[in-house]
Amino acid sequence: MADKNQYRYLTKTGLKSLINGLMKDRVVYGAVKKDGFPAFGRITRFEDLELSQTPTHLSAKEFFFPQRECLLKFDIPTGAHEPVVASQGQAVIGLHPCDIHALNLMDKVFAHGTSDANYLTRRADTVIIGAECFPDEYCFCSSVETMNANAGFDIFLHEIKSGFLTHTGTDAGRHLLGKLTKTVKASASRIKELDRLKKKKEGAFKTRLNAPAKDLPGIYAQSSDSPVWGKIGAICYGCGSCNNVCPTCCCFDVKDEVGANLKDGLRVRVWDGCTLEDFAKVAGGHNFRKTRAERLRHRFNRKFRYLTDKFNALFCVGCGRCSRACLVKINIAQVTNELIAESTITKNR
Amino acid sequence: MNSLLNQQSPKTDNLVSPYLPSAATVERVTKLTEKERLFTVTPLAAIGGLPVSFDPGQFFMCGLPGYGEAPFSVASMPVNSHINGSPKQSFDLCIRAVGNLSNAMHRIKKGDRVYLRGPFGRGFKTDELKGKDLLFIAGGIGIVPMRSFIKSVAGKDSYGKLTLICGAKTPEEILFQGEMDEWKDMGMDVRLTIDKRHPGWKGNVGVVTTLISSLKLKPDKTVAAIIGPPVMYKFVALALRKKLIKDASMLVSLERRMKCGFGKCGHCQINSSYVCQDGPVYRLTDLAGLPEAF
Ligand SMILES: Cc1cc2nc3c(=O)[nH]c(=O)nc-3n(C[C@H](O)[C@H](O)[C@H](O)COP(=O)(O)OP(=O)(O)OC[C@H]3O[C@@H](n4cnc5c(N)ncnc54)[C@H](O)[C@@H]3O)c2cc1C
Ligand code: SF4
Ligand code: SF4
Ligand code: FES
Repeated sequence: MADKNQYRYLTKTGLKSLINGLMKDRVVYGAVKKDGFPAFGRITRFEDLELSQTPTHLSAKEFFFPQRECLLKFDIPTGAHEPVVASQGQAVIGLHPCDIHALNLMDKVFAHGTSDANYLTRRADTVIIGAECFPDEYCFCSSVETMNANAGFDIFLHEIKSGFLTHTGTDAGRHLLGKLTKTVKASASRIKELDRLKKKKEGAFKTRLNAPAKDLPGIYAQSSDSPVWGKIGAICYGCGSCNNVCPTCCCFDVKDEVGANLKDGLRVRVWDGCTLEDFAKVAGGHNFRKTRAERLRHRFNRKFRYLTDKFNALFCVGCGRCSRACLVKINIAQVTNELIAESTITKNR
Repeated sequence: MNSLLNQQSPKTDNLVSPYLPSAATVERVTKLTEKERLFTVTPLAAIGGLPVSFDPGQFFMCGLPGYGEAPFSVASMPVNSHINGSPKQSFDLCIRAVGNLSNAMHRIKKGDRVYLRGPFGRGFKTDELKGKDLLFIAGGIGIVPMRSFIKSVAGKDSYGKLTLICGAKTPEEILFQGEMDEWKDMGMDVRLTIDKRHPGWKGNVGVVTTLISSLKLKPDKTVAAIIGPPVMYKFVALALRKKLIKDASMLVSLERRMKCGFGKCGHCQINSSYVCQDGPVYRLTDLAGLPEAF
């Protein structure tokens, strides 16, 4: 949580100056409405911005890890390969705390060992402006310790009746606030209003996990043979929507696209998903995760155990996007609660 | 301004694309069977003295523009020689035509170029195996990575008894039979088997495990390396346990779909282990608790 003294008050007009200022030398993306639903999109006028209380359908990962991106250009006759690390000065406005946590997790994946220049360069060229949210029936960030973000953003906005309370996460954020707009020290009454809103948010979760976050990797470790996997595997379509909408799903495929002249082309990476049938298939036809049950078990374990073992953090940020998107209503929180109910870890408590 | 922004994000100074391959010249193409060809390649960066350095069992991502990339194990150790007086290093890749890239590789000729990234992963640590009896068990195309291992230890005094068990579906599909005769001359016990009876084949018939029971092994001194199709591992491990070989003395090399080679694309993941980084060579004990390993 930010130090109370750090909060600065920003009016709605003040936010407009900030966004307009950012638009002068950056491409700005932010929360907008598409077909009536909250989403991220390009913002060319301040009025386009519609900060949403509930999560966007798709996460903001596409601005750092696009669905399709060129890794290199090649020329077939000469064999020349030219790397492409495309990045632009950009800003993304309206990321919720869970989205910011998700970005911090993606940072770990793309920075460990060999650095992924494409992702990391984009990340460094992006101003992040976070915004407070309010849970819908799918959100469960309060159960996975991602309800508040302390780092990973430049500026954070808490909407109150008369405008916003802001706090900053980086020197760059402080610099931008100072340069592009005007803020004043937050008054005690406004900070009280914020406290009230936070309490209201904390009490508003309809979905909660029935075990403390630190127990989840252990609970998943006991669940390999649970009947739950067969049950959800039997109804899953293997459509990969859950992978697409998830802010921490960042697996990809790499393929070559040859131009119409058959001379040059691009090596591109595109999003891939572990729930898709071919994801773990090798030559000769052997599939290391043949059934949908095995593939869902892999995806859920990746969020709560496998990557936790590797990076020491839960990789589910509780945004509920996968549950919201699933056509057959497989709900990651409900599934996890079923595993919790089966686990001896919770029974021994 | 961006320098300020960089403070919170991971460092991006001097980042180079890890996806950029470097060219290698194909020195020689040897047709082994209808489906397998051996390519001797010289990375261009290695001409002029830059050493190519890898452990047996490691792999490269090898690609052709327009056909993508795929992982291929080193099939030999680097060999030093000279072109026009300047030193160069070359090594072998053996490629089975199964798909898009590998079929295109089969159209490659001497003097053409291929494009490599790597080496990646963990291979066989030959230094740590000094003094051991080594038992190589290869099924099908598993002999390819095994060949780099065998070539780095065969004929050296620092290892104990060397035994190779190699199986394939038909006699023609047992690769490198000519070299196996050389390995025999260097003192290696070579035993071959094919899956089903075949006209003209006088050797053993049956899966590789059928050759294990007759071996005389010193359990404390033996390390087994096993490379083959996924189904093979469980049965070979069972047969070796009967011979009192411990799981910690069994090394296996795993195959997975791989798109990056350095822990990003997620394709090779088994639980928290990435085969491209932690493997492809594992101790069997490292795979305990990973039911999806094979
Ligand atoms: C560490 C390691 C080392 C290896 N070493 C060697 C080696 O030394 N020699 C060797 O020959 N091979 C080796 N392989 C295997 C080799 O990388 C694969 O066979 C590779 O797929 C060949 O690429 P390709 O483009 O020719 O085949 P692809 O076009 O990828 O097709 C190969 C097969 O993959 C499956 N497949 C591919 N795409 C799809 C899809 N979209 N849907 C369904 N199935 C699909 C099919 O079964 C197809 O027959 C190794 C693999 C690993 C992981
Ligand atoms: S697994 Fe589902 S709830 Fe968790 S971060 Fe991904 S989309 Fe959100
Ligand atoms: S969104 Fe639902 S149906 Fe589609 S793959 Fe994910 S769990 Fe299966
Ligand atoms: S090959 Fe991409 S993660 Fe291992």
